[in-house]
Amino acid sequence: MFNGFQGVLYRELNVFRKRAKKQIVASSLSPLLFLIAFGWGFGDRVAVNGLPYITFLIPGLICMSSLNQSFSIAQELNITRFYFHVFDEFLIAPISHVEIVLGEAAYGMFKGLLSTCLIFAYSVIFGVKLIIGPMFFLAILTHTFLFATLGITVAMLVRDHGDQATVNTFVITPMIFLSGTFFPVDKLPEIFKWLVYALPLTYSTKVIRATLTGGDVNTLYLMLIAGFAATFFFTALWAVRRVEG
Amino acid sequence: MAVREGAVNVLEAEGLIKKFGDKTAIDGIDLQIKEGDFTGLLGPNGAGKTTTIKTLTGLVKPTGGRICYYGKDFFSNPKEAKRFIGVVPQQSNVDRDLTAYENLYLHSMLHAIPKSLRKGKIEESLEFAGLQEYRDRQVKTFSGGMKRRLVLVRALLHEPKILFLDEPTVGLDPQIRKNIWELILRINQQKGMAILLTTHYIEEAEKLCRSAYIIDKGKIIVKGSPDDLKKDMGGYVLEVFLEDRIEEEFFNSKDDALVRLKECGHACKIRQVTLEDVFIKLTGKRINV
Repeated sequence: MFNGFQGVLYRELNVFRKRAKKQIVASSLSPLLFLIAFGWGFGDRVAVNGLPYITFLIPGLICMSSLNQSFSIAQELNITRFYFHVFDEFLIAPISHVEIVLGEAAYGMFKGLLSTCLIFAYSVIFGVKLIIGPMFFLAILTHTFLFATLGITVAMLVRDHGDQATVNTFVITPMIFLSGTFFPVDKLPEIFKWLVYALPLTYSTKVIRATLTGGDVNTLYLMLIAGFAATFFFTALWAVRRVEG
Repeated sequence: MAVREGAVNVLEAEGLIKKFGDKTAIDGIDLQIKEGDFTGLLGPNGAGKTTTIKTLTGLVKPTGGRICYYGKDFFSNPKEAKRFIGVVPQQSNVDRDLTAYENLYLHSMLHAIPKSLRKGKIEESLEFAGLQEYRDRQVKTFSGGMKRRLVLVRALLHEPKILFLDEPTVGLDPQIRKNIWELILRINQQKGMAILLTTHYIEEAEKLCRSAYIIDKGKIIVKGSPDDLKKDMGGYVLEVFLEDRIEEEFFNSKDDALVRLKECGHACKIRQVTLEDVFIKLTGKRINV
């Protein structure tokens, strides 16, 4: 019954396995640079929302890095679609679009969780204590699913690699910088607040940071992330269907 | 192979239309493929061959028309119908990072081949393609011909009833091309699988196909067995080498052509009619452009 889901995941994980070393090294560098620059640079001289800056920063980096990794399946899907045409194998097979979307989303979640583990390792090195409880898992799973399905949606809608780069430049990068990864969004001017409160990353960063640093988790925010995740699941499904236009 | 009288229709398409914006790629195509048929879809580049194949295999939704596999509507039972279909696309779309075995294993998963049967079927396929020794090599190390063979046996793994081949030999050396044609013929004859292929190597197609559809500008302009199509043209061609062009005259017998040759004042050559002549006569242009 779930052979399609398994097949898609088998393909993605096996391709990943062959390039795992390169991929992991590449994805570990940028959060490390942020940690060195902002973590050690500001160090514990700066406190944000009552937390040492580095303790504030690490949950933000977890959100950023896992978002980047989960969303990065969009680029991979582009290559399989436009360059190697392997995606056609999925479309020709007697499997449902739901299975394709769930298989790809599971792969995106896997990549996001892998980068999360990496940053946990950094947090140990940098001597930052985090609380990892069930609420955190719930939040990070929703967060990675959300951005994986957004990645699928975008990958199915773009017409070439150029479009994909445009989405990264104009949507993903600004979102990462504005959504509370590096500083609390409450400090932003009123006009920007409207923008950041339309972005899903704002809510997942707030929720994930709260779970990791012992703050109060806002249930409304958690529900909002779940809402975004459900929405992008359906847009991904619609976008895959549209490919067979 | 004898023509199967009363064989069941695997595929029936009726009035297929596909428009991309205001451009009509295929314009009312009718096709019937019976079990064990070997059919060619021939035409120049841009005639609508690939769009036809993509529509029939579910990669592209038609704007209009009906497609049935074993009498059942394709779009209301896509999962069931897709089990009957094997596809060899124009580009060898195997996963470069995966090994030959892994590529086939992925296909066996996607097509729900029971776990206990997978290994045996994959080994059998690798043997059929002559790729056993390359089983655990990444496909990126493969030559074009090896990739083609792998794509071919991959399409057969789930034992479809009809195999679609889109330009199966394009871009390959003549020798490898021959090798691929032999493989395709064996698939048709040993496995009794119906084949629908597109190609613009028309001389190769006419040797293999028992029936041909000639397509131009999205329409089927003629169909029939290559022999019948050629007979309708006369069977023999006299090529008259005029100063600025070659004129072709068609005759029902070699003797008629010889009579004309003797009275003709120019350099001449007699040859048998090919499917390409049929095509040129019907469309006024050459197929290999």
